[in-house]
Amino acid sequence: MFTKYKLLFLLPGLLVLMAIILFPLGFTIRVSFSSWDVIQPGLDWIGGSNYARMIADSRFWEALQRLSFISVGSVLAQYVLGFSLALMVWNQVRMKRFIRVLFLIPMMTTPVIMSVIWRTVFHESLGPANDLMNLIGIGPVPWLSTETMAVVSVLIVEIWQWTPFMFLLLLAGLLSLPKEPFLAAAIDGAGPIRTFFNVTFPMMSAISVGAIIIRLIEASKIMDTVYVLTSGGPGSATETSSYYIYIRGLRDFQIGYSAALSITYLVIMIIALTVIAKVLSRLVTEK
Amino acid sequence: MNSSGYKIFKFVFLAFWASFVVAPFLWALTTSFKTINGVTSGATYIPWVDYEPSLDGWRNVLGSGSQGINVVEPFISSVYVTIGASALSLVLGTFVAYGLSRFKYRAGFIRNGDITFFFISQRIMPPVVLSIPFFLMLQQLGLLDSIFGLILVYIALLMPIAVWVMVDFFNNIPKEIDEMAMLDGCSPLQTFLRVILPNAKPGLVVAGLFCVIFGWNDFFFAFTLTFTETQLLPVAIVSLNSSATPWWSLSASALISIAPLIFVAVLVEKYLDRGNLAGAVK
Amino acid sequence: MSIVAENINLTVDGEAYLRNVSFELPNEDFFIIVGRTKAGKTTLLRLLAGLEEIDSGRLTLDGNDLTKMPPWERKVGMVYQQFINYPHLNNFENIAFPLRRAGLPEDKIAEAVNKVASVLGVEEFLEKLPSELSGGQQQRIALARALVKDSKLLILDEPLVNLDYKLREQLREEFKNIFNDQRERLVIYSTTEPAEAMELNGTVIVMHEGEIIQIGAAEEVYNRPANTRVAEVFNDPPMNLVRGVVEGNRIHFNQDVIMALPDHLQTLAAGRYTFGIRAADINLQPNAYASEVQLGEINGSETILHIKLGDISLVTEQEGVHQYDLGASASVDFDLDQLYIFDNNGDLLFSPAANSSVEKAMQDQEKDN
Repeated sequence: MFTKYKLLFLLPGLLVLMAIILFPLGFTIRVSFSSWDVIQPGLDWIGGSNYARMIADSRFWEALQRLSFISVGSVLAQYVLGFSLALMVWNQVRMKRFIRVLFLIPMMTTPVIMSVIWRTVFHESLGPANDLMNLIGIGPVPWLSTETMAVVSVLIVEIWQWTPFMFLLLLAGLLSLPKEPFLAAAIDGAGPIRTFFNVTFPMMSAISVGAIIIRLIEASKIMDTVYVLTSGGPGSATETSSYYIYIRGLRDFQIGYSAALSITYLVIMIIALTVIAKVLSRLVTEK
Repeated sequence: MNSSGYKIFKFVFLAFWASFVVAPFLWALTTSFKTINGVTSGATYIPWVDYEPSLDGWRNVLGSGSQGINVVEPFISSVYVTIGASALSLVLGTFVAYGLSRFKYRAGFIRNGDITFFFISQRIMPPVVLSIPFFLMLQQLGLLDSIFGLILVYIALLMPIAVWVMVDFFNNIPKEIDEMAMLDGCSPLQTFLRVILPNAKPGLVVAGLFCVIFGWNDFFFAFTLTFTETQLLPVAIVSLNSSATPWWSLSASALISIAPLIFVAVLVEKYLDRGNLAGAVK
Repeated sequence: MSIVAENINLTVDGEAYLRNVSFELPNEDFFIIVGRTKAGKTTLLRLLAGLEEIDSGRLTLDGNDLTKMPPWERKVGMVYQQFINYPHLNNFENIAFPLRRAGLPEDKIAEAVNKVASVLGVEEFLEKLPSELSGGQQQRIALARALVKDSKLLILDEPLVNLDYKLREQLREEFKNIFNDQRERLVIYSTTEPAEAMELNGTVIVMHEGEIIQIGAAEEVYNRPANTRVAEVFNDPPMNLVRGVVEGNRIHFNQDVIMALPDHLQTLAAGRYTFGIRAADINLQPNAYASEVQLGEINGSETILHIKLGDISLVTEQEGVHQYDLGASASVDFDLDQLYIFDNNGDLLFSPAANSSVEKAMQDQEKDN
């Protein structure tokens, strides 16, 4: 029924998207089987050599590890912080709009540009971060120059940027919860902590999972921040998968190899994120 | 949860977080008014007290200062690309979303849910994977370093967002209203244009704003696909980020690029309640 | 105006919503589809409106094949049970919508809308939005929009089900007037309540599990249900049906319940039959048949008792409020003048309505055999 119209609505967008995504993707797959680089440009066929090289490429796997750590770590921190903030603001009627707008702003800003600003903040001798550290007695911190601190700085920037997303979503979720279970809990004499674990948290599980998955998907692509803040360094301390692939591909111009890395990275991400999504959703439905 | 101890804790925590949120902006703001002395002798904060303020930073980036870094042109390019790509993505995406919401599709074992998943899962695609093919594709088409080329690429990024928001929104409009319109003489297209769209304004606004935000904030594609002719704002600013560029110009340009988004943030906040984002997440 | 359906089948996700439905609606104006939920009423109506696709079969209206015609080309007006109005238009525009789509000139539109609005009593709300109105008023707007069109077919799918009792009664009265306004139009109304069908007094189409099981005037269907299924569906509470054996002068229902064959049934041949009696025709009567009360429901000013005589379960309806404990005993008697008889295929053999005779029924049976 309505076949003409069904297609009219779906096809334009679908075809455009498929054209823009699937052809390049197919092309990348093809390129990954070639040895295209600066010295020999062009599509030849070298079979799976790029992939073999990738398997032995410890830098790639370390980048993947780092990416997992940074993305999972920052998303969890964002979740805890965002949820705490939402819980605190939940019952305030006044100021809610102002707080919402204020807390909203970081997530609207351009990550790269904020990183530019953060770089000046974290400047070890001229930036306010160390001023603050001196003030509270910790002494100057090597924000961007040691491996550990560089990762910490990236985490700080990510948390600053994306906690608002969690905050907003979780607050919206809290506001849409029915009142009855809370009244029941109050009548049963449950204290605030018990109420949270037995009532609030379970009811928020669906939204929590959704928010975490969305953030994980976005966080797994992280590159802009790293590029500007630390340039992947010091050394390769904050080098994420995207960044490494970028270096191999557009800086070293090893196009064939970086294509192989890209495809592997993509497949790993799809599998990992799908698995995580399924596991978390199952946890929710079982509750 | 009403003990005064907790109230104090809440207040402190929120105040701390609010300061954390605002800090980088304030820092950039005050830095943008500095000159060499305000920077090299350590961090300074309050104008006239810690340093002598000047408008050099702002003059530079607006094209009339001593160093002539122009942020205005990239700003305008960004506006063109963002608005263009968002508008196209919104139109295409809304049509797709309406189809997915109202009709049953089947191609072999592929159903509506799978198609929706295909759109939404595009967000998983890391930009890196597509950067080289896009480069080569645009080169073939002669669209490298052009506004139109970027718009095409951005559509791939933004359409999934539009589809994601609008499918959920349409699902919340009862199908019976569409049926009523058809019985009243509207074809599905007329139903969509005359009956459903007028009722979809909140959703469209939210989808549109999200497209604008993600479009404006992209760095990677603009970085890899443009060079001299077209420069988008984030790229322009990052390219300033070398030791040669003084902090005050950098801060001023950063603030200019972020300003529109603050305005957008206010709009988003207003429409979020109606857009029912929480439902879309599930 | 005639609708002919041939062998229509509609299956959704493996479940048959309409099975082999064929009918030819007689040339009358007002039909009422009666059936339980999931009987297929809504599916049939949506089919007529063009909102569902048939798997097989044919549907024609006045000779025109409707099967492939999309809804916007059929001239059909529909009223849903949820009050459906266009939220973004005010009530005047809501009613005027189909007329605007048809391209009528402005003055004709205003005239038609105002006329319908006054018939339905909503003239004062025309400037407002549907959301500002009460449920009953919103439904009137929906009805107005369906009426204002020059439609050949007007479909109402349980339109009063979401309104309160008083409003339903009121609107039912108004319906009687509205639907008899002499337009060249077929009205099809669906309901789960046989009482509503009787009140509205149209031609009844009884549906059950995706099939049409009887078509006839409301009174006719009530007095002469074609078979046991109709007897169950077209009575609320459903007619009690019990198998019994006629032997000699008696009907044996089970070992304990044996009744004398009433006079007017003396010529009934011996054998097995299914007997039917309405809940209202079973009365509380001292010193009659002893039964055990399984459940009592108080329904307004009536009491519905589920009782058991041995292994026979029955439902009775009594005026007034009677309190019975579970398991208590109640003595009931049966008004055998109101006894229905169905043969072993479930078809009606004899009904207590006027002009029935057992002799004729017996002769017809023999002829069939």
